[in-house]
Amino acid sequence: MTDLPTGIEPQAAPTVPLLARLRRAGETALGTLLRLVDRPMRLLQRLIGERRMAYVFLLPNLVFFSLFVFVPLAIDLVFSFTGGESLFPSQRPYVGTDQYAYLFDCGSFLDPASCRVDHFWRGVANTLRFTMFQLVSMVAFSLVTALVLNMRIRGRGFFRAVYFFPVLLSPVVVALVWKWILQRDGLLNAGLTTIGGQKILFFVDPGWAMFWSVFVSVWAHMGFYTLILLAGLQAIPADLYEAAQMDATPRWRVFWRITLPLLWPNLIVVIVLALIRGVQTFDEVFVLTGGGPGTATLMIVQYIYETAFASQVQNFGLAAAASIVLGVVLFLLTLAQLSRTRSAS
Amino acid sequence: MAGLTLKGVRKAYGTIAVIHGVDLAIADGEFIVFVGPSGCGKSTLLRIIAGLEEVTDGEIAIDGLDVTRVPASDRGLAMVFQSYALYPHMSVYKNMAFALENMGLARSEIDARVRRAAAMLRLTEYVERKPKALSGGQRQRVAIGRAIVRDPKIFLLDEPLSNLDAELRVATRKELAALHAEIGGTMIYVTHDQVEAMTMADRIVVLRGGRIEQVGTPLDLYNRPDNLFVAGFIGSPRMNLLPVQVVSPGLVRLSEASEPIKVTTGSLAAGASATLGVRPEHIALAAEGADLALTIDLVEQLGGDTYFYGSAPGLPQITVRQNGQALRGRGEALPVRFEPAHLHLFDAEGAAVRPGR
Repeated sequence: MTDLPTGIEPQAAPTVPLLARLRRAGETALGTLLRLVDRPMRLLQRLIGERRMAYVFLLPNLVFFSLFVFVPLAIDLVFSFTGGESLFPSQRPYVGTDQYAYLFDCGSFLDPASCRVDHFWRGVANTLRFTMFQLVSMVAFSLVTALVLNMRIRGRGFFRAVYFFPVLLSPVVVALVWKWILQRDGLLNAGLTTIGGQKILFFVDPGWAMFWSVFVSVWAHMGFYTLILLAGLQAIPADLYEAAQMDATPRWRVFWRITLPLLWPNLIVVIVLALIRGVQTFDEVFVLTGGGPGTATLMIVQYIYETAFASQVQNFGLAAAASIVLGVVLFLLTLAQLSRTRSAS
Repeated sequence: MAGLTLKGVRKAYGTIAVIHGVDLAIADGEFIVFVGPSGCGKSTLLRIIAGLEEVTDGEIAIDGLDVTRVPASDRGLAMVFQSYALYPHMSVYKNMAFALENMGLARSEIDARVRRAAAMLRLTEYVERKPKALSGGQRQRVAIGRAIVRDPKIFLLDEPLSNLDAELRVATRKELAALHAEIGGTMIYVTHDQVEAMTMADRIVVLRGGRIEQVGTPLDLYNRPDNLFVAGFIGSPRMNLLPVQVVSPGLVRLSEASEPIKVTTGSLAAGASATLGVRPEHIALAAEGADLALTIDLVEQLGGDTYFYGSAPGLPQITVRQNGQALRGRGEALPVRFEPAHLHLFDAEGAAVRPGR
């Protein structure tokens, strides 16, 4: 072997691009880290066995999940059996199931006015109404939009982005934007007066307030559901439609007998997710209408929030009991989703 | 059942033409096979006939009736897809009944037709199952059943056996041939497998690059290929194609050193380059008077037949097929003689040279 010519200096070597250097540095650091943890992990695996190692890997996430979900849930449960105004559990007297009894003390569950905690039951009634309208509109609009966006139309990519864009916005931003449009001197009323119409006080009329609450919610979230349905539509093999064409199948029958059944697993996901989201609704409606006029758009979560934090007498125990009731409903809905998704697939 | 006529059918995607003016007449009750290598346009042509692809130019007629612009649903044809395209959420029964419901037939009529087809295809015990609970062969039969129940004018089959294993493919091939004999319908079958084409077809349409290379009965194509492509494509093992030079009318030579070989040279002039085609079974082992001396590169013993793969200087590898078990080994000399009655000659453009041409 001969030595390199002396004229070649080290700096004459080709420059390594920055990204490649970063990647190499990252790989080196990762390699070092892996070598460091390799020996203790092997030792641990030998001690506890391969199967239990799964729990070791789950542990970090479980710690955070416990800290921010399970522990608050447990505190909430404890609070629901206590009374008083203090935030510290040690200073809260045990009241048993009094909060639940108080919550469920109703002459008729169909008439919130007959309940001792009438705002809670108004919230329940409003949430049910909101969820029903929102669910039907959400599924219908998402399905139609997904069907259209699945067709070979001009500017399909643009429209897919447009429909998804509101999903990226914060619910508060969405509500504020629509509030500016819908308020007394907002864009919509300006438009109405320009064409010779009269101003409509959308947030004063209970019907309009509920309509726009549902509308804004659908507008803000349908992009997400459209995406789920679009993915489902694209997973249906094209040759099934060609077979249906050869079978002389009318278009409506293709939809009912082929598209809809094959889209059913995705539709179930959309229905259950929209249902859960409907029951949980708070921020958009709160910013848009403040629950008004009166209690016309007061939702359960808003009631819980106001009972615990925004009223003069902070009733944490009652709010906790109401949130446990809501939690049970959501838990049942989630179970329903899991079981339906499993059976559909 | 019905006949089909294609006149100057062309298909282009933008500026890319994939079918270049196809003319073809298919008689009522014929079993026609479109065969050719991948990308030759055979599936596209089938889809054009089905109405799943629009033609760029030309005319399609079924029983003399122009259907060029008639949608697929109104052509009265049935298609068996390569993927079978069974509706996964419907039972076998409902898959077969679906098209009949579209036709508005009475429930009793639908039931009778589905049960008859299921019995014919040995599917009776599976009618309540969904496609995912069936084997590949059973799914394939359901796809055929779905076509049969409609009693279509023409059956279109797009590589229906390609997803089956070799053994099942042979069995289903026989079943399809028997089915055609039983129901007597016009069938157009697409495959890239020339063995399927040879064994099933009344007539074969050989396609290459969106053009028909030759149409004929399997033995027509085997015995009298019109050109080099058909000669090489039809037959397994493929025909040996050897470069030759015309010595004089009726005589060609493989090389300066070799003996002249008698073959029809048509109008080819002395000195013209050509290609001599000879099938492996038409090369005999010669004790004396050999046309060519080969050296054996490889021997394949199939029990009933023996294949020798031999080479000679300046020539491509030559396949020789011998009946029975010929006991010769690699590296041995193999003097051979071409059977003059079975030689083919192709001119420099690849067209077959016929007597007087």
